[in-house]
This record gives sequence, C-alpha cells and structure tokens, in this order.
Amino acid sequence: MSAATKQTRARRKFFGGLGFHGFGVVASFFFLAPFFWAGLSSLRSGSESQTPPLPPWPTNGISFDSYATLDTFGSGIWQHTFNSLLVSLSTVVLTVIVSLLAGYGFSRYRFPFKNVFFVLIIATLMIPFQSILTPLFIILANLGLNNSLVGLILVYVTLQLPFSVFMMRNAFDAVPREIEEAARIDGARDLKLLVRVLLPLVMPGVATVAIFAFLNAWNEFLAALILLSDNDKYTLPVLMTAVRAGRLGAINWGAVQAGVMVMTIPCLVIFLLLQRYYMRGLMAGAVK
Amino acid sequence: MSMTIATPLAAAEKPRRRARKNRQWQGLLYIAPAIILVTIFFVIPVLFTVWMSFHNWPLLGQPSWIGLDNYIRMFSDTRFAAALSFTAYYTVIATIAIFALAFPLALFVQNERRGVSVYRTIFFLPVVVGLATASLLWVWLANVDSGLFSPILRAFGVTGRSANLLATFNNAFPTIIVMVVWKIVGFTMIILLTGLQSIPSDLIEAARIDGASRWQRFRFLTLPLMRRTLALALILSVTGSVLAFDQFYIMTSGGPQNRMISVVYYIFNQSFVSFQLGYGSALSIVLLGILVALSVVQLWLLRVGDDK
Amino acid sequence: MIRKLLVATSLASLCLVSNAMAQETINMWVRTGIGTAFTSLADAYNASHENQIALTEVPFAELVQKYATAIAGGQAPDALSLDLIYTPAFAAAGQLQDLTEWAKGLEYFDSLSPSHVALGTYEDKVYGLPLLVETSVLAWNKGLYEQAGLDPEKAPANWDEVEANAEAIRALGGDNYGFYFSGGSCGGCMIFTFTPLVWASGVDILSEDGQTATLDTPQMRAAVDKYRSMVEKDLVPEGSATDNGVNFLSFTNGKIGHQSLGAFAIGTLVNDYPDIDFGVTLIPGIEGGTSSFAGGDNIVVTKDTPRLAAVQEFIEFAYSPEGQKILAQNGSLPTRSDIAAQTLEGLDPRLQVAVDAIGVAKTPYTLLFNDLINSANGPWATFTNAAIYGDDVDGAFATAQSEMQSIIDNAP
Repeated sequence: MSAATKQTRARRKFFGGLGFHGFGVVASFFFLAPFFWAGLSSLRSGSESQTPPLPPWPTNGISFDSYATLDTFGSGIWQHTFNSLLVSLSTVVLTVIVSLLAGYGFSRYRFPFKNVFFVLIIATLMIPFQSILTPLFIILANLGLNNSLVGLILVYVTLQLPFSVFMMRNAFDAVPREIEEAARIDGARDLKLLVRVLLPLVMPGVATVAIFAFLNAWNEFLAALILLSDNDKYTLPVLMTAVRAGRLGAINWGAVQAGVMVMTIPCLVIFLLLQRYYMRGLMAGAVK
Repeated sequence: MSMTIATPLAAAEKPRRRARKNRQWQGLLYIAPAIILVTIFFVIPVLFTVWMSFHNWPLLGQPSWIGLDNYIRMFSDTRFAAALSFTAYYTVIATIAIFALAFPLALFVQNERRGVSVYRTIFFLPVVVGLATASLLWVWLANVDSGLFSPILRAFGVTGRSANLLATFNNAFPTIIVMVVWKIVGFTMIILLTGLQSIPSDLIEAARIDGASRWQRFRFLTLPLMRRTLALALILSVTGSVLAFDQFYIMTSGGPQNRMISVVYYIFNQSFVSFQLGYGSALSIVLLGILVALSVVQLWLLRVGDDK
Repeated sequence: MIRKLLVATSLASLCLVSNAMAQETINMWVRTGIGTAFTSLADAYNASHENQIALTEVPFAELVQKYATAIAGGQAPDALSLDLIYTPAFAAAGQLQDLTEWAKGLEYFDSLSPSHVALGTYEDKVYGLPLLVETSVLAWNKGLYEQAGLDPEKAPANWDEVEANAEAIRALGGDNYGFYFSGGSCGGCMIFTFTPLVWASGVDILSEDGQTATLDTPQMRAAVDKYRSMVEKDLVPEGSATDNGVNFLSFTNGKIGHQSLGAFAIGTLVNDYPDIDFGVTLIPGIEGGTSSFAGGDNIVVTKDTPRLAAVQEFIEFAYSPEGQKILAQNGSLPTRSDIAAQTLEGLDPRLQVAVDAIGVAKTPYTLLFNDLINSANGPWATFTNAAIYGDDVDGAFATAQSEMQSIIDNAP
C-alpha cells in the first residue's frame, strides 16, 4: 500500500469522524438541552425565577429556593418521594417474581389453554387502562384496597405483566435446554432449579423487567390521581399536578422545574447505572 | 427467528405420562399468580366495562339498562367523530415523524466508532422520563412568558413579538409533535437498531463484494430482513399514538378550542367530567375494537411480505 | 409467596398511616388555588379545639371528579369545601347530608350569604352552607396609571375608558400591558370575570329556567368585540390565549393595568404583594351599569358521615366572630351580614367594594354547570377562547349555542 493511499484513507477517516461526531454532538444537544435548561433554571433564586427566562441559568449564585418552595406543597417533598419510591420498588419486586414464574411456566411447560393464557396476558397491552379505571376503582373498593398504596402497586404490577411475561418467556427460551437437563440430572428441581441454575442465566431479562417496572411505576400519573385520595399518599406525579395548578392563581415555574428535576433524576440515574442490562434486555426482547 | 420447543427432548420422555401430567399442573402453578392478577385487575374490569356499556350509568345514582343506545348514540356524536379524526391525524403524523428520525439515528448509532455508545445513551435518555414529566417540562419550555422557546425564536428573528406556541392549533400541534418525537424517538431507534444488528454482517459484506450499492443493500437486504422489527416498532408506535392522552391533557387541556381531543381524552371527559360512565365504557369498547383491528392489519401486511 | 409479599407490603403501608388520634379527626377536602382562607381557618380550629381537621388539598380541576369517584368507592371525606355552583348537582344525586333542621336552627341563618344558601338548597332542603364568599371586581394598577399620566384615583367607569387607559399603559412599552384575562379556555375564570359585562344589562347566557341557551345576544357580541379589540391592539399579554386559569393572578406581577379579579385576590395582593398599589371598582357592564359574580365555596357534608356533630362544630366556629375575622383577613368576604361591619373592621377598605358587589352579583343555578361552563372542553370555555382569539366569531357563537342546547336537551 502506497503512502499516498494511506494518507487519503487517514484523511478520509479524520473527516468522516469529524462529520460523525459533528452530527452526534448537535443531535445530543437537542436531546440534552431541555434537561439542562430545567436543571439550571431550577437553581435560580426565588426572585430571579420570576424574571425573564433568558439566560436560563442562575446569575446571582446557586440557590435552592425553588426546591424549598416545592417542599411547601402537599405533605412535603420527602413524604411524596418516599411514597413514589415505595410504590416503585414494591412494583419492581412483585413484577419480577410474578413474571419470572410465568415466563418460566410459559417457556418450559405444556399445559391446556397455554396459548389462550398467554394471549390473555399480552392483550392487556391493547386496552387503554384509562378506560377501565372506574371498574378498577370499584373493584379495589370492594377489596378494601382503594386509596391505598397496596392497591396502586397491584394495579401497576398488572399493567407491567404483558411486557414482563413476554420478556421473561423469551429470556427462558434463549436458555439452552441442555443446561437445564444437566442440572436436573444433578438433582436440582422446580423452584430450586429456577432460582439456582436458571435465574443467573436470565438476569439481563430480569434487569430489563425491573427497570421498566420501576420507571413506569415511578412515572405513572392518571391511575395514581384517581385511586389515591389522601394527601399523605400522593405520589410525585400527583403532587406535580398541584404544583402545576398553581397556588394563589399563579404558577411557580421554579417549583415546576424543581419538581421536574426530582422526577427526572432518579430515572436518569437508574438508567445510566443499569443501561447495559436495560439495552441488552430490550434488544433481546425486540428481536423475537 | 422464533424458537420452537426443542423437539428431541420432548420425544425422549414419552414413557413418563404421569410425570408429564404432573408437569402440566406445575406449569399452571407457575403462571397462576400472573393469571390471578390479570383476572382481577384486567379481565373483570373489562367485562365490567362491557356490562356498563349497555347502561346509562351515572357516577352517582342508579344505573339503568338501555341496551345498545350508547352504541347508537356514537353515530350521531360529532365530537366523537372529531376525536377519531384528530387521533388518526396525530397517529399518522407522529408515526411518520418518529420513523423519519429514528431510522437515520439507528443507522448512525449502528456505526462501530468510538463514542457511539455515548450518543446511543443520550438519544435514549428522554425515553426513561415519564410522559407526564416530559409534558410538564415542555409546557414550561413552550410557555410564552417564562419558557425558553419563544425568546429564542424571537432572538433568531423567526417570530416578531413573543409567540405563544400553544395558542393556536397551527403552533401547538407541531410543538406537541416535536415533544413526542424528542421523548419517543430513542426507543424506536433502539428497536430498529436491534433489527439492524440481527442482520448477519457477512451477508451484507457478501453483497458489497458482489457490487451492490449502499442503497441496494439497504433496499434489498436490510429492509426485508427487518420486517419483523419494523412490525414491532410500528405496532408499538401506532398503539401508543392511538392511546395518546397525557401530552394533550397536560400541555393544552385539549385546546386550543378543543381541536386536540384524542379518543382517550374524549373517553376520559365522558367518564370523569360528564360522569357518563356507560357511554364512556361503550366508547372504550369501540376503541378496543379499533386497536385490535389495527394490530391485525399491520401484522397481516407484514406477514404477506414474509411469504414471498 | 405472593401472599406473604402482599402481607408484607400492606403492613409496610399500614405503618405509613400515622394515626394522630385526637378526639375525632374530620377528613375534609379543599380545592387548591383559592388562597389561604380555608387552611388558616382549619389551623386556627385545630389549635383551639379537641377535634382535629385533616385537610387534603385537591387540585381544583380534579376536585369534582375525585369527590364523585370517592363517593362511588365509599371513601369520601366527611366534608368538603365545594365550589358553590356544584352544590345542586351533588345534592340532586342524593350524596349530601340534609342539614336543613340544624342550619335553620342557627340564630343567624337568615343573615348568611343568600346566593350561597340558594345554591346550597335543593328541593327546599339545605345541603350546603356558605363558607368562603367572594365576588368579582375590576382592579386597576395605580402605579402604572401614574406612570402613564392617568389619574390614579379615578376608577374607569366603562369599557371605553378601560380600553383607552389600557392603551396609555401599553404605550409605556416593555412588559407593561393594559389588560389581562385568562383566555385559554378557562370557563370558570370567564364566567367569573366576563359574564358580568352582559349581566349588567339584564342579559344572561341561559334562560331563567336554565332550559334554553341564550348565548347569542347583541350584548354578548359587544362584549366579545371589546375584548377582541383589546387583544388586537396588543394590550393583552400573549400568554392570556393559553392561560387556563393557572395565571389568573397575573395582576400580581405589577405590569398589568387592569384585570377583573375576585375578593380572594384582594387578600392575596394585600398580604403578599404590598408593593402593588391598586384600586378596585365594580365591573362595568358593556352597555353601562355594573355587575359581579358571587362565588366561593359552600361547605357540604357527605351523607351519613359518623362525624356530623364534629363538622357542625367546625361550621359554627367558621361563623363565630373569630372565624369570620380569620376568613376575612385572608380575603374571604363576610359570610354573615349581621356582623359584617365588625368583621371588616381594621381590614383593607378595598374589601368593602367587593362586599358592595354582593348587591349587584349573580350566580347561575344549573345542575349542568360543569358540563356547560367549567369543563375546559365544554361549550362556554371553548367559546370564550374561540370568540376572542379565534378567526371565526360567528362560527364560535353558533357552535357554542348549539352545543350548550344539546347538552341541556340530553341531560337526564
């Protein structure tokens, strides 16, 4: 290979890289800017947050006024964050357990009406749950679970099932049967087999299911709005409707920005920490 | 590449009938928790919804049986017709916008270059934020007094005085589409990426050596091999758009002048604002029918291609 | 396994419900966005009484819906502060406690705000009693008047004057605007601030019996034209077109020349924005005269609540001179006319204008208030936005008129 071709190739690579990263940086700016603007604006001081929005960052030093204002809504921001966390984490745990069992059942066993059951679970995706909220509300009331976080958690778990069961079934399908047979011969059975041998193998799937369950439960708004009626039990999105509705007839945009940040940061952190699992799981699910 | 149940093992276990029957019960046991939850919190509410749809069912007070009246009423309900046509319009525009951006982005992040995983992550970030949170964020950004878009547009001379981006349909609709694309496109991008990556690279390489152009490779290899992925992405996108609610509720309350009332929004209004639960239920049933029909049509369209 | 988890999670959530067990705890709801009158009253009550009030603030747009669902699910609060216009609808549905006997036994019953009692009465039974009272009035910014070379002490007497003064203030430039209203499909705001323009001429948007929509009148057209003209002259901030009520108090930014407001806003302005020097006057009619909307909240009691006696004790506290004073300090007008003078003593004199407005004020009585007027997607809310901001005024009138009529005709 002559030096000249090498050079053109290197130059091409350089300009190709420039174009590539040029596009990447510009596109990244559009995706990231709203977060940064909201984050920076939320750090403007109380008096500043009522002034014109440009520039969207604090000019008189960083202040947590907006977060303090946010804390004056409802029962305080810690209480509502705690509620949201409790609901989200419980949803994660229950969803993982239920979908792990169901995914295993659907992948490895034959039983009557298997396909009917599977379609039944997947069909949950098809119905806008907004439209069954009233019957849901009445049923929860009959079970003594209305206005309770437990009721909300069970509803969230159900809403997660179609995706999660689908995901877990695929994850189990991808595990070669030979591994299972070998373990069986070694005497591992049933739940023990599932937990000891198979669980580590489907961990990426579990992670995906868990992250999706967390994010969806953390972000859900309408069911929480309708099913909860105690101030103390409101989750963050419901609290945010009160912030958005304003107080004394004026919206406090600083508090809105602070609220958006409180809602956003956990999602971003969890995603960034676990994205390897998340993406791998998502892709495994999508290929099917 | 769907994996069928591995046949050799199934054949080997023929003599153990009882064990198999036992295993049947075990299978049911494993799926039982899921089935119980789905039954209580999904099947029963849906059946209940069907039952309610045959009633005049005020939220407060006594329901009364009215047979098919709710369904008949839909045909003369101009506001429902408006909601249907708006939802269809939104679905088409949003889906086109999302795919038009998601495909180039997927091709972009398919590159095996340094730093590509960072871009992938960044483009995906808005996906993990809730739609309600995103709407709230964008309501602020688009707010004429406190937001950023309108002073920025003014600074660049796009608009004269500060423009209210949510005041007219012609401004508010594109604003919402931009928000939705920002929020969703990363998801579609990743799904498409999985499709792209599942194509064996030696196949593409072989075509390249055979002299197929970049476009030819894309048109005759990539696209056909991605049918299943495209189907999945399309179904998810269309279903999501047909069910859109949060963004209209939070960003414009269905306005300006009721021009952004989606079907779900209309059902919500009928059920929880006008408290006509029976009519709301009937509308839900119709929406369900539409969704099922849409999915069947999409699956069928894509499968027809498979058989060729 | 699942069961264990269920038990565990429900135990966890049980622990969350901290029971501050007092003598009795009354669960009460109040809508957000009505100022501090009610919360201050509840605080004072809790501080001085053995029974305690547990207050839940519900976003104002969702209160009716949430209350209705809570009743359906058997989880309703003992009492709530309900926008008075909804009282007939809930009373008609048979969900409210009949308070007639007890209420009529109150020695000052006859001096309670008449429009509240009228709205709280359904088929001759009292279901709701006045709690918060406010009227709509027109406020002008004296500081901006001065800057614009206008006489700050001279209230605008008619809409031509409002418009002319608004133009003078807009001419100051910058972010100074002449007029403000929440024009983004806020039915509640517009019935409160805009209908007085036509009510002053004895015209209404519904017939006396509530069975006919009478939206399209020359007076309403004139009122719409006046607002349109102010919008076209750029006297109104652009944000008004999408303000669904959240920025109802834009006047508090000190850069708005005129705005029609409620008495609660006077309380807010006086307490929280002492820098803004403002005057208030009765809202002029489009053809002369004055009018106002008598609004506020009724307190209603959920049917068959076991804590009726405790709620009654709270209501009596609200009607006591002490309670009345707390309410008035926070901008709610006196509920009892017999001790009004005593209540208002030492308070901002501008509240008196709002009290005077009671004399000319109206309140619509309809079971369909939410569907017709308040709902953001209802005909009135849509009409106000379409007629003032849209391109097709005739179309807006025609659509709203027919839609209102069809809602009335289809009502059960």
